[in-house]
Amino acid sequence: MNRLRSAFATVLLAGLAGGAVTTPLSAAPATPVPLPLYRVHVEGLACPFCAYGIEKKLSRLPGVRKVHTDLRSETVTVTMKPGATLKAGEVRKAVRAAGFTLKGFEPAGTKR
Amino acid sequence: MTGKRVSAPGAAAFALCALSLATGAQAAPITFNTALPVAVGRFIFREQFLRMEAGGDPTPARRSLRASAAVSVLAWGATPDLALFGILPYLDKRLELDTGAGRVARSSGGGFGDFTLLGRYTAYRYDGAGVNFRVAPFAGVQMPSGDDARRDGMGALPRPLQPGTGAWDPVVGVASTYQTLRYELDGQFRYQANTAADGFRFGDVAELDGSVQYRLWPWHLGAGLPAFVYGVLEFNLVHQARNEAGGVPDPDSGGTTLALAPGLQYVTRKWILEAAVQVPVAQNLNGTALRGDYTVRAGFRVNF
Repeated sequence: MNRLRSAFATVLLAGLAGGAVTTPLSAAPATPVPLPLYRVHVEGLACPFCAYGIEKKLSRLPGVRKVHTDLRSETVTVTMKPGATLKAGEVRKAVRAAGFTLKGFEPAGTKR
Repeated sequence: MTGKRVSAPGAAAFALCALSLATGAQAAPITFNTALPVAVGRFIFREQFLRMEAGGDPTPARRSLRASAAVSVLAWGATPDLALFGILPYLDKRLELDTGAGRVARSSGGGFGDFTLLGRYTAYRYDGAGVNFRVAPFAGVQMPSGDDARRDGMGALPRPLQPGTGAWDPVVGVASTYQTLRYELDGQFRYQANTAADGFRFGDVAELDGSVQYRLWPWHLGAGLPAFVYGVLEFNLVHQARNEAGGVPDPDSGGTTLALAPGLQYVTRKWILEAAVQVPVAQNLNGTALRGDYTVRAGFRVNF
């Protein structure tokens, strides 16, 4: 019981300190989970205002966590949730729904 | 001078047509529509404020016309190729003229004008590396939603001063856009077939418009999605046929105007700020129709 009280006090103190103190309750340090990345190549993309529609459509796809557009290379980098994959049919449909054309897409490693 | 000429501001073709030009909602031209797509299920809202003046009246009435407008446009992507546009202007028109009793002013006061619903279909689409080209015909109708029976102390306001026309007016046209990362070219042809209401018919309007937008900043495109500043130069060639009252053409209405509109646009992924000054450079107007002096346009667009 005393050990429990001690642990509770430690957690409380850690919380008050802004979470800077590692709680003794966590048995092992958290390992960052790799997030799959994809590079989506869009043809016809030529202005920032037009990129908004593509970003919105891609970000609505299942498993997508974040999208980032690079206008110069006409690519949208899609960061997926852990274990999720991007499906070709869905990407093609999303880019077309935004009014543009999918040139292709490929896995681009992972991000931690 | 006839009583009709005193009560009506003449054609002021440029002046009144200018208020109907701001229909585009995507990035691109400031004074007319574009062929760029609207994503399916997404909305773009555009608000454009206009202020125009017309004068140069050769008659002793020394008429001058001022008009202010706020034109709201909501665009919605129905399919990858079909976009719908709803356009609603809020107008305030004021005519001043000399009469035997001194200089008088006749004003519509503020009021909503006619609502226009347009459908635009992308008939041809080419997407390449950093470039796209589109041709998109459009069609719609301007509906008689605005008040067309306003009165002032001198009686019923002349038709051109009313916020609404009272008529159902079909609109057809085609817009085309060629866009690269450095510049963009737009063109549009638009025809509005005006119909009669209560014995009055505005002359049909045909417009040919062109626009060049050039990226001034950033001069060298960096990584990511930077905001753009475009320098814009547009032209508007507008021809309006004579108005008709009781089936009789008004000889002091209608004509042709060519205007140039230099402007600036600040374009981000989420919104656009823009402004332009539209100046007539050539006017061939019928009779004593008022000559457009200038139109100032400023506004914004929001993606959501």
